[in-house]
Amino acid sequence: MVFLSAPRWLRSRLTDRFWRVQEVLKYARHFRGRKNRCYKLAVRSVHRAFVKATKARRQKKRILRALWITRIGAASLEHGLKYSAFISNLMKSQVELNRKVIADLAIYEPKTFKSLAALAHRRRQEGFLAALGDGKEPEGIFSRIVHHY
Amino acid sequence: RYVRQLQRLQLLFSPTAADARGARQFVEEAAPDFARQHPDVVLYVSTRSSGAPLLLAEYLNGTVREELIASKTSEEIVQLATKLAGQSGLDIIRIRKPFHTDNPSVQGQWHPLTNKPSALTVQGPRLQPQ
Repeated sequence: MVFLSAPRWLRSRLTDRFWRVQEVLKYARHFRGRKNRCYKLAVRSVHRAFVKATKARRQKKRILRALWITRIGAASLEHGLKYSAFISNLMKSQVELNRKVIADLAIYEPKTFKSLAALAHRRRQEGFLAALGDGKEPEGIFSRIVHHY
Repeated sequence: RYVRQLQRLQLLFSPTAADARGARQFVEEAAPDFARQHPDVVLYVSTRSSGAPLLLAEYLNGTVREELIASKTSEEIVQLATKLAGQSGLDIIRIRKPFHTDNPSVQGQWHPLTNKPSALTVQGPRLQPQ
């Protein structure tokens, strides 16, 4: 239905404009500047904030993995290994710990991390011997693979 | 053994208001059955002439939750009451981490001097460990 003389009738008035505005402003309360008070500016800021939050849920996984990798690299350098050598040799020794757990161990359990680094170092040396020794010596102890069938 | 976190449920409504009809029907029909099914929750029913009908839930950790039951049917109030009876009194906000420890470190948290040799263990040409 079209109200042809709407400005004169004004039979239906919007009475809950306050609450409709508050629904948006409540998400903008911790913003900086006029965006936390003025509705027109807040609508745009809140919309952008929600879009960024949605996209960030995928990026958070990447960011956290990169953080763990940085921390593991720094911790393994303290023990004389690079990140690539540490992780590759740990995988070859069948220690299947993910980066999150190894990073937490490096922070809260430094002695355990030191033993992990020593294990990776030893496996690395055994790998070098196997590659350069031309198969005359027996295989290293830590290079043995356990099959779980 | 399971301890119900809901301490008491207070039902406040007016005997004459129109939106409290569901609350009155609940008190007449379903309240004794609800009280029998949840023996460890105390149900208080009181009337007041002003204000909207409320269902106050108090939990063992002190949180008080108020739920409006205006213009709700008796069955909806029963469902709401069972939902509140199954909740604990913790705030309903986003949980940041699904884990928590009071003692995160067993071997001592890392600090910049953990992996550095100390003066007691320096092995130089003249210095010997004590």
